[in-house]
Formats: sequence, C-alpha cells, structure tokens
Amino acid sequence: MNWRPSRIDLLGLLVPLGLIVLWQLLSLHLASPLFPGPMKVAFAIVNNFNVIVKEIGHTLLRAAFGFALAAVLMIPLGVVLGRIPVIGRLLEPIMDMLATLPPPAIIPLVMLFAGTGDWAKIVIIAYAAAVPMLMNTYEASHSIHPMLNRVAKSLQLSRLETMLYIDLPSSLPMIATGARLAIASSLLVSVTSEMLLATNGIGVYLQRSQEYFRIDAGIAGLFFISLAGLLINAAMAKLERRWLFWHYRETSAD
Amino acid sequence: MMAIHALHRFRGAISILIVMGVWQIVFLFGLAPEKYFPSIFTVAASFADMLQNGDLAKAEFLTFTRALIGLVAAALLGILLAIISDLSPVLGRGIRYISDILQPIPPAALVPMAIFALGLGYKLYAFVIILVTVWPPYMNGVAALSSVSPVQVNTGRMFGCSRWDLLWRIKLPAAMPEIFTGIRYAATISLIAVIVSEMLAGRDGIGFMIFKKAFALRTADVFALMFVVAVSGVMLNGFTNMLRRFVTGWHIRMMERTE
Repeated sequence: MNWRPSRIDLLGLLVPLGLIVLWQLLSLHLASPLFPGPMKVAFAIVNNFNVIVKEIGHTLLRAAFGFALAAVLMIPLGVVLGRIPVIGRLLEPIMDMLATLPPPAIIPLVMLFAGTGDWAKIVIIAYAAAVPMLMNTYEASHSIHPMLNRVAKSLQLSRLETMLYIDLPSSLPMIATGARLAIASSLLVSVTSEMLLATNGIGVYLQRSQEYFRIDAGIAGLFFISLAGLLINAAMAKLERRWLFWHYRETSAD
Repeated sequence: MMAIHALHRFRGAISILIVMGVWQIVFLFGLAPEKYFPSIFTVAASFADMLQNGDLAKAEFLTFTRALIGLVAAALLGILLAIISDLSPVLGRGIRYISDILQPIPPAALVPMAIFALGLGYKLYAFVIILVTVWPPYMNGVAALSSVSPVQVNTGRMFGCSRWDLLWRIKLPAAMPEIFTGIRYAATISLIAVIVSEMLAGRDGIGFMIFKKAFALRTADVFALMFVVAVSGVMLNGFTNMLRRFVTGWHIRMMERTE
C-alpha cells in the first residue's frame, strides 16, 4: 500500500527533471549569457551562497516583523468588530475596498511618509499582512455558531470574556487560513519593497544581479526565495496540525 | 429595527462618507502635513486634471487590459493543468512539484531576470502575470476535480459516458464553482503583478505613473491613482463575478434556493 504512491511520486519527479533537461538544452542552443542554463545556476548557487543567505535573512526578518505587527493588531480588532456588529457592518465595505488595493501600490505612498528605511518597509509589510488577517478574523468571529453564543450567555460571560474565551478560540482555524495568506503576502511585499526602496535584502541582490548582467546569480536568488517559502509553508502546516488538532479531529469525524 | 435596516442598505455609502469625513478632519486639524496629506478636494481636482489630459485613461487602459488578458490566459492554463493532473496522476504529481517550487516566488522578483530575455513589451507582462496567477485556479481545480462526488461520476457511467464525456460534462461543471473561487483570488494577484511589473519595468501603465508621481512628490496625484487602482480591482472582481454567473449560474441559483 505504501509503495504505490511513492512510485507515482518518483515518476512525477520526471516532469521537473525533464523540464530542467529541456532548459539546459535550450540554453546550450542559445548560448547567451542572458539565458543561463541550470548548470550555470547551480554554480552560481554555490558561489553566492553566503551573500544570498545573508540578504535573504534581512528580507525574512522584516517580513516576520511586519507580519507580527499585523497579527498583534488585527486579530483583536477582527474579534471586536465581529462582536460589535454595528461597527463591523459599517467598516465591511471599507475592508472590501482595501482588499482590492494591491499592497505594492502603497509602496510609493509610504515612501513619501516614512522614507525608505526598515520601518517604512515594515509598515508596508504590516499593511499587506493586515488585510487577510483582519478579513478572516472578522469573518470567523461574526459567523460564530449560535450555540456558542448561548453557552456564553448561560455562563454569564461579559462581553470581553466572550471575545476572549469563545470568539477567539473558535475563530482560530479561519485565522490560521488568514495567517497563511498573510505570510505569503508579507514575503511578496518584503521582496517588492526592497526592489523599489533599495537598501538591503534579497530584492536588492536580485536587482544588482540584473545590473551586472549576472542572470545566473539572480536565478540562484530566486531559488532561495522559493526554498524559504516552501520551508515556511511546511512549518506553518505543521504548527497548524499541532495547535488546531481539535479542529481537524472534528472535521475528519464527520 | 428600521434604523438597522437602513444602516444595512446604505452601509457602503455610509462607510465611504465616514472615511472621507475622517480624512477631511485629519486634514483640517493639520494632524499630518499638507504636503503628504492633501484634502479630498485637492485629490479630486488632480484626478479630474489627469482625466482631462488623457494620461490617466491611456495608462489605465494599458494596465487593465494587461491584467484582464493575463487573468483569462492564466485561468485557462490553470484549468488545463488541473485537467491534465486529473487524467494522469504521474503528470499531476510532476506539475505539483513545479507549482510548489514556483509558487512562493513574488512577481517583483521575476521581472529583473525576465527583462533581458523578454524585453519590455507584452511578452514580459504575459510571462510574469501568468507565472504568478496560474496557481490558484490550478490548485482549486485539482482539489475540486478530485472531490467530485462518486454518485455523480457513477451516474454518468451508468448513462454510458466515455472518459472524455465524464470529464467534460460531469466533473468539470461540478468543479467550476470552486475553480472560480481560485480565479477570484487570481484576479487580485494579477492586478498586483501588473502594477509591480510596471513599477519595475518603468515604461508605462498605472504602476509606472504612481511611481513617477511619488518621486515628483505629487501626493494628491498618488492618492488619486491609488483610488483608480482600487476601482480597477473592483472592476476586475466584477468581471470575474459576471463570468462566474454566466458559467456556474446553476450553482448560484441552487445555493440561493436552499437558503
């Protein structure tokens, strides 16, 4: 039983491997420094390993700060808005409108207010992470199961206690979904903001590679961004399964 | 009760009024320097200005068509990949490897590497937009196609549907609502990708215009352009919803009836 899926996994590996071979052949055929093959990229990864790791460290650190800021502010706000429907309903259209505004579009605006330093970037990242966090928390806590409301009433919980002990825990699965979207968008905006407001980080590294015509080094950088994203996603999925085991238990019991 | 009803009906207008009111109060009390925080009327005036000299319409046309064409192409490609994955588990696993690798890469990071190979024209935009927008329709497509209820599939078999019929007439229509959820998410990403590529490629479009105005410290223009971007997002969303109504109208009607 265990063997069959792994055979599919192995045969499936042929698809990306085939693409890499195709890429290598195409690059040999074109023989242009602007279109490096996988061999050259592999060498570039080895040669630039230290630089790339250092730069991507800056990027990830800022992304983490921005995300943490958004989580600390937006999860409580979302719960409060969900519990006080009058304000929530009024602000809903504003949230919808902010959701359609692409986060990178605010980069030039924040630049005017806050310059190009670390804090400007963290503000932009926090904004990008805030929208999905707020939307999901709000959505979860205002569509809470009516039974839970009655539980709160019969336990005579105050409004604050209801938010803390009922709304927050029962919204956690949806907050986790929001967090996953928010992490993806903080990483995206972190790189983008570096490319537009250059100081340091992997975004700057990519642009330098372009300016020096080192496309192979640039693709090596892309490889590391992808790797970082994969690792973060895997870690997130693991944490979710550990902390929200009750949620998965319930849904799988159905 | 009446008051709450009215509140619900006009909440869009009310919330916009609240934002504008707060904005204007911040402006009037001088909480932020005027250079960075112009009054609503200044923003409106610069919007009208840009509208009049035609720059705005031209840039918005470029940006919007890029986003729209990219979105449609990416959605079709995503559905195609999902169908391939459904037909062959091995190819499906292979595509999943590739999507795992490519998905975390932000559109901005792709631009500098692609400029040399693809130039500054439509090829660059097509490449960047499709490469980042294709994944949500594909992911949702794979999930939806694999979770079509066996009752539906078996019913099709009973009617003697071929493998192709089964896919085309039963599985794909059943998966469409979920695929459209992915396309709606993709609409947002496609607009982001266009704006970012325009900022970095630096030749034309709304993204380029925002960046240029920001460096010229024309704050009112920047705010007006951000408003335009938000409206573009709403329009792109509206287009997706229209298409969804057209393709999966049966599903929406069914959902409304059960409520």
